Amino acid sequence: MASPEVHHLFHNPIADHSFSPEKATLAVARDSNVELYQKTGSKFSLTDELKGHEKTVTGVDIAPNSGRIVTCSQDRNAYVWERTATGWKPTLVLLRINRAATFVRWSPSEQKFAVGSGARVIAVCYFEEENDWWISKHLKKPIRSTITTLAWHPNSVLLAAGSTDSHARVLSSYIKGVDTRPEPSAWGERLPFNTICGEFLNDSAGWIQGVSFSPSGNALAFTGHDSSVTVVYPSAPDQPPLAMLNITTRLLPFNSLIWNGENEIIAAGHDCEPYRLRGDESGWQLTGTIENKTGSGAGTIREESALNMFRQMDLKGQTQADTQLKTIHQNTINTVRVYEETNGVVRQFSTSGVDGRVVVWTL
Amino acid sequence: MSQINYRTINIDVLDPESSVNFPMESLLPATLPAPGTSSDAAGVASEVRQLLRSGDAEGALRHALDTAPLAGDDRAKEVHLATVIEVLQGIRQGEMLRVLEGVCGGSGGSERADCLMKYLYKGMAAPAQGNGAQSPRRGISPQSTGFSQIQPRNVGEGGSGQQMSVLLNWHEKLVEVAGTGSIVRVMTDRRTV
Repeated sequence: MASPEVHHLFHNPIADHSFSPEKATLAVARDSNVELYQKTGSKFSLTDELKGHEKTVTGVDIAPNSGRIVTCSQDRNAYVWERTATGWKPTLVLLRINRAATFVRWSPSEQKFAVGSGARVIAVCYFEEENDWWISKHLKKPIRSTITTLAWHPNSVLLAAGSTDSHARVLSSYIKGVDTRPEPSAWGERLPFNTICGEFLNDSAGWIQGVSFSPSGNALAFTGHDSSVTVVYPSAPDQPPLAMLNITTRLLPFNSLIWNGENEIIAAGHDCEPYRLRGDESGWQLTGTIENKTGSGAGTIREESALNMFRQMDLKGQTQADTQLKTIHQNTINTVRVYEETNGVVRQFSTSGVDGRVVVWTL
Repeated sequence: MSQINYRTINIDVLDPESSVNFPMESLLPATLPAPGTSSDAAGVASEVRQLLRSGDAEGALRHALDTAPLAGDDRAKEVHLATVIEVLQGIRQGEMLRVLEGVCGGSGGSERADCLMKYLYKGMAAPAQGNGAQSPRRGISPQSTGFSQIQPRNVGEGGSGQQMSVLLNWHEKLVEVAGTGSIVRVMTDRRTV
């Protein structure tokens, strides 16, 4: 296992990050701006800033094919940024929400994107050629609280949403004229806009912080503030799921998760390091951490001078100041994303967190 | 009648969209057991006491946690809390880890660990219980003024302080066995004990 690539960008929290498909550009949400970094050698250096939002940016996503960047912020707006000869040009998207936007992701088809919000709606946005602007349609019906996270099904119609009402939901975001009719699946056959294909609550009912469809789209995993991961296998439309497996952990809660194939999940959160879960319909379990911590403190132990040692003993009654965590991330991990995959099998993934680091891990 | 002070009306209550009207029952899972009454809880208490007398501390704790009245009324919950605390006080310190590993192992073990953690926090939050855990005093209701008087911390003299130290001991051991995840779930879980 190759050692992870660590990029310590700054000393601010990173709300969200996204790599361009060729991995040369990295977009990170920092305060009320989005910063673009270009890779030069093995380092990333700041090249551009996307300025326009007035409040904290909560989500950023780069569309792999078109290269367009979508951002959303607590100022209730979303922008689509396009590269022009003179720089990045923003287009305001009318979300029609009266609370902060919390999360944004492009659909795999890149025809639409979905924005979660505190206004208890998901705004599904698509481009209307005639009027030359982005239109948003609201998914509203069963949502009782803030949407914290979203994930797209590979068919670009089904959308999974996690909420602070402790439910993970699978909804249809089918838009006529934009989407092609999806193949019937275990989630549903006819899927008009706002069809509820599943609504899941686990026993200990924490706020949902991360959702993800498996590569085939036939299983859903979600994690929440109750330190557990739940995996749902649907059976047929309008039927109870085939299996709903809840894996409680002894760790602090996870914030984000991704699938690696159909039988592995990678999750990370408040314990500052990624963990691996394995299983199938009959059962799942946490198999352990991905981080290799045998090299103590990852080379951060400095030679302590004798003066410093006695000063520490005098001031704090301890011989060594161990404010450094053993993990690479020095604070909560907010986002886990697939970095490189082939047919659903992840070879590399990236994480970003409150400590201002973006780390690329190799499995 | 005409003298309504409109400034004092809590408008949030009138707005169905408001967060104060959030349906809390929507956070309860469908798998919740049937509601129990205080007499059911008293019945369980005598069964548990029987097990405890016969020297099967592990079985007593296991039975008490499996029969927790998650959907019961307040009275049933109070009776059951007293039962659990009685069991916990009846187990010697040297035995704790062995009992815990037995109770929190096997199928349903993690649910029992989470359930025990809920009781530990509830026990520590409960007002001082005077003599014996048998007759828990009613929770002190807030004053009509809306202010509550600060209660003395119940780590003082007598039975309540002793009970607190027992609970803290159990807490330490349970965190070793079930981890911090168990504490987090006490906060999120709406199936209160």
